[in-house]
Amino acid sequence: MKLKEKWLSLDGWIRRLPLLPALIFTIVVTQIPFVLSIYYSLTNWTIFPRNSDLVWFENYIDLLDDRFFKTAAWVSITMTVSAVLISVVVGTFFAILLNRKFFGQGLARTLIITPFLVMPVVAALIWKTQFLGFDFGLLNTILGTIGIDRIEFASRFPFWSVVVTLVWQWTPFMMLIILAGLQSQSSSILEAAKVDGASSRSTFLQITVPHLKPYFELGTLLGVIYLSQVFDHIEIITGGNESTKNAPYYIYQKAFIDNSYGSGSSYSVVVVIASIIIATFGIRLLSGLLADNEGA
Amino acid sequence: MNKQRAKKPFMFAVALLSAFSLLAASCSSDDGEATKTTNADGEEVKEINVAIVDNGAMDSIEKLTPKFTEETGITVNYSFFEEQNLREIVTRDVSSESDQFDVVMIGPYEAPQFGTAGLLTDLSAEEFAGGDEDYNLDDLVDPVREALSADGKLYAAPFYAESSFVMYREDLLEAAGQEMPDAPTWDEVAAIARAVDSEDVAGICLRGKPGWGDLGASFTTVLNTFGGTWWEANADGSIGEAQVDQPEFKEALEFYVDLVQDAGQNDAANASFPECRTLYEEGKVAMWYDATVAAGFLEADDSPVAGKNGFAQAPVKATDSSGWLWSWALAIPEANENKEIAWEYVSWVTSSEYIELAATELEGGWAAAPPGTRKSLYENEEYLAAAETFAARTLESISSADPDNPGTTPRPGVGGVQFVSVPEFQAVATRCTEEFSEVIADSKDIDEALANCQEIASEATVEQ
Amino acid sequence: MLKRVKEYLLSGFTWLIALIFFFPVFWMFLNSFKTNAEASGDPKLFFSPTLEQFREVINPKFWATFSDSFIIVIISTFFVMLLAIPTAYALAIKPIKKWKDVLFFFISTKFLPPVAGIIPIYILADTFNLLNSRTVLVILYTAMNLPLAVWMLNSFFREVPKELIEAAKIDGASIWSQITSVIMPIVAPGLAATALLCFIFAWNEFFFALQLNLIDNQTVPVWVKQSISTRDQFIAELSAASTLATLPVIIAGWAAQKKMIRGLSMGAIK
Repeated sequence: MKLKEKWLSLDGWIRRLPLLPALIFTIVVTQIPFVLSIYYSLTNWTIFPRNSDLVWFENYIDLLDDRFFKTAAWVSITMTVSAVLISVVVGTFFAILLNRKFFGQGLARTLIITPFLVMPVVAALIWKTQFLGFDFGLLNTILGTIGIDRIEFASRFPFWSVVVTLVWQWTPFMMLIILAGLQSQSSSILEAAKVDGASSRSTFLQITVPHLKPYFELGTLLGVIYLSQVFDHIEIITGGNESTKNAPYYIYQKAFIDNSYGSGSSYSVVVVIASIIIATFGIRLLSGLLADNEGA
Repeated sequence: MNKQRAKKPFMFAVALLSAFSLLAASCSSDDGEATKTTNADGEEVKEINVAIVDNGAMDSIEKLTPKFTEETGITVNYSFFEEQNLREIVTRDVSSESDQFDVVMIGPYEAPQFGTAGLLTDLSAEEFAGGDEDYNLDDLVDPVREALSADGKLYAAPFYAESSFVMYREDLLEAAGQEMPDAPTWDEVAAIARAVDSEDVAGICLRGKPGWGDLGASFTTVLNTFGGTWWEANADGSIGEAQVDQPEFKEALEFYVDLVQDAGQNDAANASFPECRTLYEEGKVAMWYDATVAAGFLEADDSPVAGKNGFAQAPVKATDSSGWLWSWALAIPEANENKEIAWEYVSWVTSSEYIELAATELEGGWAAAPPGTRKSLYENEEYLAAAETFAARTLESISSADPDNPGTTPRPGVGGVQFVSVPEFQAVATRCTEEFSEVIADSKDIDEALANCQEIASEATVEQ
Repeated sequence: MLKRVKEYLLSGFTWLIALIFFFPVFWMFLNSFKTNAEASGDPKLFFSPTLEQFREVINPKFWATFSDSFIIVIISTFFVMLLAIPTAYALAIKPIKKWKDVLFFFISTKFLPPVAGIIPIYILADTFNLLNSRTVLVILYTAMNLPLAVWMLNSFFREVPKELIEAAKIDGASIWSQITSVIMPIVAPGLAATALLCFIFAWNEFFFALQLNLIDNQTVPVWVKQSISTRDQFIAELSAASTLATLPVIIAGWAAQKKMIRGLSMGAIK
């Protein structure tokens, strides 16, 4: 009786109403493709030569044997973690610097955001040919001028070449989030601290940092989601090197170069399941994100 | 306060209304039909959609198409794609028969395969080129025509064709006391490269970038002439045992890797056609083994190395020739409903009249005319004068390519020089060249790479 | 006095960092004015500029492509904000019981790699005759950005002091006017950051735009990518195309960061 009351309670529905449009829209647009993907993963669908029989779990069994995919999964993890960690740290540093009023701050901020505005493909190409290139890249030209041996960056350090480009592009993303977090601090609290005689250092450590915790965690969560799906940088800077081939790249090859949609879908389903597991654990760790509001 | 409160829902309604009208406006765009045959007034509108590779050579097509539209009233909508994207999209469009494109650009890899699967229109049939005297099917250079055909039927009309050969700086070789024979062996070329190689100028530029059309193309020609191959062929042409673990394969790969590491360009693992071209033009390499179309760039009026180049046949070892064979060609999907109009376009753009038009109307002149497709071009005085240094060599290279028997053993599939004409080759060669590229970059042991590649290639073997 | 010197040094340092970080983009701008051969060769800071690349890339489709992108991006961002703001209210201000699950669900929709999602989406779009339309991209981009907006707005809405909401409720304000008169002014920087990110992601989205709009209604990233050739040297041309493509987003970035100025006085409202 009590449960039914809860379900039918008007208050509950009024609370839910505002989010229903977004929720329903998202369910329709994202879940139908997902269910279809699951269906395809149970077939051996290839588009050339044509094939589409139900093979049930054969794809999944083959997947378990696939050692190349395991390497790709590991690359996904290491690449994502490296890029996210470094960009959060650098992004926070920039956000703090940009949080002050100073001469031409609007322009400086816009300039720092620009790396994120460039298309990934273009950013990767500029880095690869104009900066990391051996014969004509800027970094190597500088090295050559000061008498150090030139370095084949993309060939010898494929992983870090990709990570550097990613960090360059995604630091502004982190910076925006942290900056918004810094902005949302209550000015009355900060003023009160000043009045009380707190040094800027202890204000920072005791008020700002705890305040920023949920923003760090938000940046990390979103960063992990986006950076784990990076594709263009890998293709352009390294062309599919084993040390940089991540899971989405591997799936892309399966689905579009091998033309095996069925097999590709099975790998994707596995990635989704793994992501759900990782996210569940991860979010539990990031306590700031889903902490209950005081006095909800 | 009451007035304020009344404003809010009103503004909200206005916002919502404008959103919906914007959405409605956005809906009134095309719905992607392949061809509109009647417009709003009920008049017949002739329009076709063409998928093309985004390649310097294709600029000419866009510039000259207005002439075609003037003559025939057919509007052509081009969609340009980078090679990799083009392949994905065309494969999907053609094999799922979704008919978004009336004409698609493909090469000798796809043409025979799609053709035998019944997905492409037979262009040599009566109603197309077969019955068209002006088109002059027999004028097509034989190996090119064969490479785009299966069972004698032509499945794609060539726009331009290429083989591969060695390009070298005559002055630099002379200065090092080296002479390049007309038809060198790989050992000879390697020796020359090592002799010419210096700190500032690399001996030779070879492709090292992963990809079946990048490192895959160059390497496979070397593999062929070393007596190696990717797979054995079963009697019915299907894929037999992977041959990556054979001594000839390792010999070829070792040779290639050693040559690049000893006398090749820096950052080789990232280099393909555009990179080698820049290096060659900037005088940073003395030789370059790559596509014959490069000659057109190197000998162009504004090229920094114009007039300094010599051209030699693709180097061999155990075979008579080794140059590859590629052509970008136009095909009409079998499922297409406007074949007549599509053919009018295809026949125009692959005709000798078009070549003449391109040569006379475009900046590059005769030297930049789409090469390699027609014998008549190589009898044309003006072309031979403009392309003096490389025309004959190009034709020779293309003519000596043998797609059915490019190496010393039979291959599975329907014929190819620098690739194996089976669907599995794409993925296998892409992943294998990734491994080989790492060997070139010195970050992987050659035996490990070969073992990985053997594993990958074996997945494709048809179980008996 | 010392404090002022410190201030100047800090500002100078900030500018230095900004310039270094911006440098690769500046280099890209520079390349737009070079010839392809110049851009591929030894790096040059000084050269005689030419507009030839811009002439090359501004083809007949240029205006149509840019306006298509604008329409798609602005409409989808508008819808995202329209849907996400009430959602954030229901998750942060007056949280429903299952708010954590709802948040998790939203973010889980981003776990499916686009390369897998494209196949069923292509088929669905074909079925509903939405290929080569702006509509299909508006729908996709809205779905793509909604989780981001929901999560970000949720964080920002949680900053709003409960007392202010209570005060507004006591005054008889409806949910919508609570949002507009109390919440939005406080979370304005967060809103700006969110809208900007949605704009950027939608504007630069390449994969779905390429695969779904092959013939008509192509977007700017697809147009940019057409400057990449496997045969030619193309960096200067690509730089020119990309410079043009980045300008609208830079303007959006400038507008958004103007909103991110602290001092929106919560104290004053009290």
